[in-house]
Amino acid sequence: MSDFPQPAAVKPAEQGRLTRLWSSDFAWAFRHSPVAICSMAVVMLLVLAAVFAPLIAPHDPFNPATLNLMNGFTAPGTPNAFTGEQFWLGTDDQGRDVFSTILYGLRISLFVGFAAVLLALVIGVTLGLIAGYVGGWPETIIMRSADVQLTFPSILVALLIFGVAKGFTPVEYRDQVAIWVLIVAIGLSDWVQFARVVRGATLVEKNKEYVQAARLIGRTGPAIMLRHILPNVLSPVLVIATISLALAIIAEATLSFLGVGAPPTQPSLGNLIRIGQGFLFSGEWWILLFPACTLLALALSVNLMGDWLRDALNPRLK
Amino acid sequence: MIAYILRRVFQSAIVLLIVGLVAFSMFRFVGDPIDNMLGQERTMADVERLRVQLGLDQPFVVQYFKFLGNAAQGNFGVSYRQGRPVATIIRERAPATLELAAVSGALAIIVGIGLGVFTAIRRHGIASNLIMSLSLIGVSLPTFLIGILLIYLFSVELDLLPSFGRGETVMIGDWSTGFLTESGLKALILPSITLGLYQMTLIMRLVRSEMLEVLRMDYIRFARARGLSERLVNFRHALKNTLVPVITVTGLQLGSIIAFAIITETVFQWPGVGLLFINAVQFVDIPVMAAYLMLISVMFVAINLIVDLLYFAIDPRLRIDGRH
Amino acid sequence: MLKLTAASVIALSMGAAFATPAHAETFRWASTTDPQTMDPHAVNAAPVLSFLNNVYEGLVRRDRNMAIEPALATSWEPIGDGQGWRFALRQGVKFQDGSDFTAQDVIFSYERASSPESDTSSWFAPVSAVTMVDDFTVDIMTTAPNPIFPDSIANWMMMDSGWAAANGAERPSKDTENFATLNANGTGPYMLSERQPGLKTVLSAFDGWWGDDRGNVTRAEFTPIQNPATSVAALLSGDVDLINPVPIQDAARLSQSPGVKVVQGIEARNIMFGFAHAAEALKFGDEGAPNPFRDVRVRQAVAQAINVPAIVQTIMRGAALPASQLVSPEIRGYVPSLADAPVWDVEGAKALLAEAGYPDGFSFGLKCPNDRYLNDESVCQATVAMLAQIGLTAQLDAMPVANYWPELRADNFDMYLLGWSSGTFDHEHPIRFLVATPNEEKRLGSWNFGDFSNARIDELLPMIQSELDEGARNAMLAEVTQIYQEQVAYVPLYVEPLVWGVRDSVEVVQRTDNFFILRWANVN
Repeated sequence: MSDFPQPAAVKPAEQGRLTRLWSSDFAWAFRHSPVAICSMAVVMLLVLAAVFAPLIAPHDPFNPATLNLMNGFTAPGTPNAFTGEQFWLGTDDQGRDVFSTILYGLRISLFVGFAAVLLALVIGVTLGLIAGYVGGWPETIIMRSADVQLTFPSILVALLIFGVAKGFTPVEYRDQVAIWVLIVAIGLSDWVQFARVVRGATLVEKNKEYVQAARLIGRTGPAIMLRHILPNVLSPVLVIATISLALAIIAEATLSFLGVGAPPTQPSLGNLIRIGQGFLFSGEWWILLFPACTLLALALSVNLMGDWLRDALNPRLK
Repeated sequence: MIAYILRRVFQSAIVLLIVGLVAFSMFRFVGDPIDNMLGQERTMADVERLRVQLGLDQPFVVQYFKFLGNAAQGNFGVSYRQGRPVATIIRERAPATLELAAVSGALAIIVGIGLGVFTAIRRHGIASNLIMSLSLIGVSLPTFLIGILLIYLFSVELDLLPSFGRGETVMIGDWSTGFLTESGLKALILPSITLGLYQMTLIMRLVRSEMLEVLRMDYIRFARARGLSERLVNFRHALKNTLVPVITVTGLQLGSIIAFAIITETVFQWPGVGLLFINAVQFVDIPVMAAYLMLISVMFVAINLIVDLLYFAIDPRLRIDGRH
Repeated sequence: MLKLTAASVIALSMGAAFATPAHAETFRWASTTDPQTMDPHAVNAAPVLSFLNNVYEGLVRRDRNMAIEPALATSWEPIGDGQGWRFALRQGVKFQDGSDFTAQDVIFSYERASSPESDTSSWFAPVSAVTMVDDFTVDIMTTAPNPIFPDSIANWMMMDSGWAAANGAERPSKDTENFATLNANGTGPYMLSERQPGLKTVLSAFDGWWGDDRGNVTRAEFTPIQNPATSVAALLSGDVDLINPVPIQDAARLSQSPGVKVVQGIEARNIMFGFAHAAEALKFGDEGAPNPFRDVRVRQAVAQAINVPAIVQTIMRGAALPASQLVSPEIRGYVPSLADAPVWDVEGAKALLAEAGYPDGFSFGLKCPNDRYLNDESVCQATVAMLAQIGLTAQLDAMPVANYWPELRADNFDMYLLGWSSGTFDHEHPIRFLVATPNEEKRLGSWNFGDFSNARIDELLPMIQSELDEGARNAMLAEVTQIYQEQVAYVPLYVEPLVWGVRDSVEVVQRTDNFFILRWANVN
């Protein structure tokens, strides 16, 4: 028996989920890490800019009927000598507004990046769950395939898929399918780490009591995997997904820079940089610099988030 | 132990066969296989001869093995773009890539391990934090941007180093080397930094995190308690145990340098197989793509096999229960 | 940190210690296109012929001002009444392998260069026979009087019959390789000492050359550099002595850079758009629909929609010359009275389209090379935008030049970009190749991919070729020009600028045909 006043017991289960999240350790760590807040802010800003590009962009750079060649090579902020128009970040060689082009290019870069990671995630997590839970032949096949694919660097796999797809596609459709081929190429080259991590975590979870309990009451394999195991293996997946996103964005930029990525009709940041490189030495530095900075900001922020997430979710470093 | 080795070798063989299958499918089904072997200028007699030789009416499996047989003899067909045998083209250009990869790899390992150890030992110093921050940029900057910036800085502005190509090369038998001339050596510097930077950053971060883990271990604390000098503790005990997992990852990463060379070679116009491959992809030059794929695979599989066996030899835990 | 600094210090000091004067004996030059063969009869393309002009020679050659002068022939005179030409050959000339040059080699070279496997056969369309009079005299008989025949063979190079026979190279090989693709044996001032296709080609001086008009270059290395920014960087850092072309946008900066100068001129190459004149249906875009380009009003609309001055101003940085005909004003036979190109008029173009039955425009395929002409892809992209303003949707397909010519030969286009340089420095040349109705026997219209055909032009062409009176000839050329302008056979855009980047320590001569003649170069 105690005379000490009892603290008001707020039962955690009664609070809303959002409130719980906000007051968790994780959120506390986030709120107190300037790095995490900054990088998250940058990423959100870029994503919003990309999503609302049609509303924000002062011009539509990909509608050829609106272009005026005489606007070409205008420096940032200075009026064009012939038409008098002004552009925040200048124009490229065809008279396209660099600012608008970056916004639309961001769309492609982000779309390909997110979609590729999503594809890799879905494939990898599914295969990892199956490998870990079911074991036996499926596990061997999946993990051996993972090993085989790990032997090859992702850029090579991506280039190959792209090259073969190009060979199969008739010329008229190449531009239209390019984006989807890019997504598949990058996504397929990246699923392995998801599979490995999820398999490992599944192996651990598989033997825990709650899984055995679920089996006892008659839940089937897929149901167990999805509803019980999956939520518990998500945290390492989140870290990998973030880092994969940065890699996917860089991969897309690289492939576009090499000339085998996004087509000229739907330029991404990589294409813009490739075009800009040609004008670096002649003095039109803005065509290279702004897309390059945007790419760097994006990749860096995502990487920082991934790094922070890994540290925050790693129990051993606490 | 023999069982382990045999199993790994067997796995490698399977991988090569699968890769061969992919290459064969590309060769056979994308574009015209006769074109792939002979090029556009050919007589009807050539076509007939090759049709029989390739056995195009025979079952898939038979064709597949004939293709592999051809490849094993070094016959990869004729390049669309150049009209010359692919094997010749690759043989001419391989030394360039291999030398570049070797130098980049060495750079990445030496600097990566060195910096990794330094930042682990002096974990909280300013230099350490600076290096870690810069390394993050190193991982976030695409390789091609690094190359462009290096060219601009060192070649155009400062005029210290060449901006393209291999410089003068010397032929030693069939191998053209850039190591024996000053211009060759100068030409290697920027491309190998560009190529090695990503790997260097990865190795550095890996070594650092592994070493931090190891330094936390009990036996290190006991070694210090026994009065061993910091140097002995760090280098004799900690580093050795750090290196074990590092070797695996590093070995695999180094194999991928050859593939990343594609980007560096494009920026620097380095006349290696990477540039050849990217041109082949742009041209849909299937024979070159298939040949590159097969040769690279052989290389990767070999590297992986060696690393695995090395790992097996170093880590006593594996030898005990024979599984990993 | 320590290791990194040490490494860079070592690297830098190595660089300093080993620094040698960069250009002692070797002249290095670079271009975007590697000559695809060393065989002078295999491919009729400027990069090949320009390069081989240093190794092989013809009966005649062009001097610094493009005038024809004697080379392997010391003199020539017409036979009879225009039945042909008699060439007196130079004596004592040796091939680089030591064999003598005789009339035998001329006969052999004629057979080789005019064979079906050769790409230069159309040069010999007017020729009926080549006969040997004696060891050093050759008669070339023509089917009709041909006053400018000697002008047309400046790039026809002599090959040693013995060497060709001994090496199985009696006929040229276009797509696969034979001995002559990788090796050369000419009479010219330089020998081919190393050939790595796509990588490096080395020439060294031939001491047994008969001529004496040469500079001080004893060894020359050619490297193809595909990336223009890389080639500019290479020039600035001294890795090469000459680059051709300099990307237009870098010309200003280069001319202000120390150690480097820009040599600029106008090339005798006209850039133009061609159409599919004969095809029934569109091949791309609104595939299968009746081909709108058969209607001259549609072609006129296209000509009026393209703002050539804007292209010249922006993409060409003012360095190109707007064109109205298939040749530039410097070329013989240019018609000054017809120097007006269609004026840029968007509304007028739309009206023409509506009149022709396409008020809402249509969609088609535009084919373009991306590594052959200066800023070719940019020009095509700009054209896409301009055509969009009158309602035409052009699907641009840009490709490397090695893929491009086969596509055009296979009629796989609706509209395409082309550049043409008159090999004879005469207006008749492009008319013969581009405007005459294609005729394989008579070797006419071999580059008229769109199959443009006009009976009156076909009638006038042979008359022009055999007309000796300049006035009458020019009048006929004027009539032909008027027809092809009114019919919009092609849309001439501009004359290409020639921009070479050269180190200050080097002197070179720039010729309007963009050929780089090594023996006129001097390294100081």
